[in-house]
Amino acid sequence: MASYHGNTHSERAKMEQIITEFFAKSLHIILESRCPYVSSRNYSGEQVLSSLSPSSSSSSSSSFRPRDKWFNLALRDCPAALENIDFWRQSNLEPMIVDVILMQRPIDWDPLNFSPKTGFVSGKERHYYGSDNEEFGCEGRNERIIERWVLQYESKKNGGSTGSKKRSNCTSSHALYKKSILLLRSLYATVRLLPAYKLFRDLTSSAHIRMYNLAHRVLSFVEPFTRREEADMQRFVFTPVDASCGRLCLSVLYRSSVVDMGSDPSTPLSPQFIPEYVGSPMAEPLKRFPSGFVSQSSPSSSPFGRRHSWSYDLYRASQPSANPSPSPSPTYSDSHASLAKQRCRRLPPPSLPHHLPDETLIAYMKTPSYDEYWPSPVFSPSPSPSPPTYVPNSHTSKALLRCESAPVSIPVTKLSSMPSLPNKQLMPPSPPLKATLLTAAENIAHLLSFSKDKPHQISGARPSVNSSPSKSFSSRLSFQDDYDDGPFVVEDDEILYPSSRSGLFELPGHPNEPGGTLFVKRSQDAAVGALVRMLKKAPPLHQDLQGSTLQTPTNSIKDTTEISEEPRVQQSSASNIVSSGLGLVTSKTTANALEELHGYRKMKDSFLKLK
Amino acid sequence: MNCEICQLKELDVEHFEIREVLRCILHTILFHRALGLVRPKDIDLELFEITYVQCGDVELERKTDEKIEQFIDRAEKHPNKKNQICLSFYEVKNKQPTWFTNKVERLYWEQWYINLNVAQHQKGHSGKSTSSKIVVDPGAEERTARRAALEASLRDVLFQIIRFVNEKKDHIPPVPNLEGVSFPYEITISSSSDSAFGMEMFKRMLQTGNPTMLS
Repeated sequence: MASYHGNTHSERAKMEQIITEFFAKSLHIILESRCPYVSSRNYSGEQVLSSLSPSSSSSSSSSFRPRDKWFNLALRDCPAALENIDFWRQSNLEPMIVDVILMQRPIDWDPLNFSPKTGFVSGKERHYYGSDNEEFGCEGRNERIIERWVLQYESKKNGGSTGSKKRSNCTSSHALYKKSILLLRSLYATVRLLPAYKLFRDLTSSAHIRMYNLAHRVLSFVEPFTRREEADMQRFVFTPVDASCGRLCLSVLYRSSVVDMGSDPSTPLSPQFIPEYVGSPMAEPLKRFPSGFVSQSSPSSSPFGRRHSWSYDLYRASQPSANPSPSPSPTYSDSHASLAKQRCRRLPPPSLPHHLPDETLIAYMKTPSYDEYWPSPVFSPSPSPSPPTYVPNSHTSKALLRCESAPVSIPVTKLSSMPSLPNKQLMPPSPPLKATLLTAAENIAHLLSFSKDKPHQISGARPSVNSSPSKSFSSRLSFQDDYDDGPFVVEDDEILYPSSRSGLFELPGHPNEPGGTLFVKRSQDAAVGALVRMLKKAPPLHQDLQGSTLQTPTNSIKDTTEISEEPRVQQSSASNIVSSGLGLVTSKTTANALEELHGYRKMKDSFLKLK
Repeated sequence: MNCEICQLKELDVEHFEIREVLRCILHTILFHRALGLVRPKDIDLELFEITYVQCGDVELERKTDEKIEQFIDRAEKHPNKKNQICLSFYEVKNKQPTWFTNKVERLYWEQWYINLNVAQHQKGHSGKSTSSKIVVDPGAEERTARRAALEASLRDVLFQIIRFVNEKKDHIPPVPNLEGVSFPYEITISSSSDSAFGMEMFKRMLQTGNPTMLS
């Protein structure tokens, strides 16, 4: 007797377990083929399945998880189903209703103004929307239930309990399990034959941005469809599976015209190269530092962080006008922006001489509406550090060419003026060069202080000059403030900043006397000031170099604006330096400066060509 | 045990469609009879917007393709005839060997008849090329309509299989094999004009009847 009751209990427990697992498996089968954003990113479809085919050998059974072995049906991962299944295990076999919802975006959908709707409704209901459905928002989108799956266990209220129940229960669980296997096989085949499966496949397999999406809800009770709604739907009822105390019932109401509802003129996402993506050499000119000039700093200490945030914010603030397709969610662009940022840290060619960030920054920011050059967030996943070569349209090509022209040099002093740039990132130049710079900076500062009330006069210099050094400094400061506060547009004349500033390096030991070799550009003054500040902060080098005075014959400098003449100037100045008795150290310094000048000259030429 | 027979809806197919149609139907049936542990494999038809399921058994796939090729060859050799392919599931009952026979008895418990009406090639073999352009356009529309109709019919056939599998469950014997297709099966090909066609049918009817009749 006891064994009978024990067997009854165990049999009942088995059946309950079978029924519970049947619910779970059914939900898994349904959501696996209706929840696009889970399945599309995890596997490659049948390719993975074929590789895991159990037909090869018995050892393949080791690849099956315990839950796969229920009903002898191994399925792909479906987190949405697993979440709901865990919840449903506690539901005491209440009916399970799965609504598959077709969500269509409104025409004027704005990804930046969406209000994501997530939800877990208290009680037995559980609303779940696909994780990427948040971009659809909950306002203005058109939702339509295209499928309703109803799964329930109808218990039989039989009062009779005879001795023959023992035998029937023993076979019942076995028969129930076998028939459940067959039913689930049918369910698996059916979900792929219904019209909604096509929408699912379109969402998962196509690279197009669709104006619709699939969501689902798992509920225990719903409002029935109206007669009108039900008239538009067809019903398919699976044969119930009888159990000893009830039966498992599964049916589906589905719309046969979902293909028409879901069709839309989607915009194909063609692969596009973004020339000025966040982290590109154009956007990240600081990364152009040669290996010997800037230490390899961690991204956290990089001054690029601010620029990244600025660049990204700018992207978020404006829609790319060049690309008509709506951009996906910001999270998508975030990930790509960060990825681009990480990639660009590997970009700078190490062979370049001293490069300062601001020139390229200026060049980049100079672009009048560079947000136009920021097409869709799809960018080339190429790991190559080289900048993209393909440009989708003309103005982007121009920007690209301009940015790609040559490594733009920026005076070292500019770095010190950037508040976010820690000094540790600046590797000190070679000691002779640094001494030269220091001396030059001091001289320049001295000259600037003397020429406060005088317009800078340089023979052949450009007329547009800041009248006072204070203004130049203030302009520099304002420049810095602008840089610190966010995006700003740099004037065209500052494109000459590199060349002008490079002239500073060309004048090692050249005392810039009043009215002598001084740059007339306001930005040049700013650069000078920045250079001075940086050099002042630099640790002292050779003592014998600090007090030396370098004199530059003014008549040797005819036209400071003609960069091509600067090398000759430098040569003459170099000879003077040598003659001043500084010795081999100074001459060596000058030679280095000359080399740098050549480099800067090339950069400037290429830069000017782009302009 | 009764033998459940399912006559599937007849399909009008062209030669190049035979392979896909038969694969779809046969594998759908076999998937429902592979009750062992399987990892289903979704296959998209190239000619139709239909996805069917395979049970992932490589050996099964090979045998099925062989039979399909035989069917195609037969259809080409016997045009203008209704061709039929039969998928049968049986139980093996080892008959006690006697002095005269050591035959293993097959007890069929389920049979599926797939009826295909293979259309003839309707390509113009004449050398008149002047009106070829005019002929192509309406032919394309006709082919499109025919293809759509065939897809709908194929879908109906698949639902027919699913309904049959759901409605008939009690006749299925105990599962002997937990891997791949759980039950022994065979695929036979016949055509309406075949003189052995009727004999084949009669033979099966005898085999599914009283086993004592087989000796």
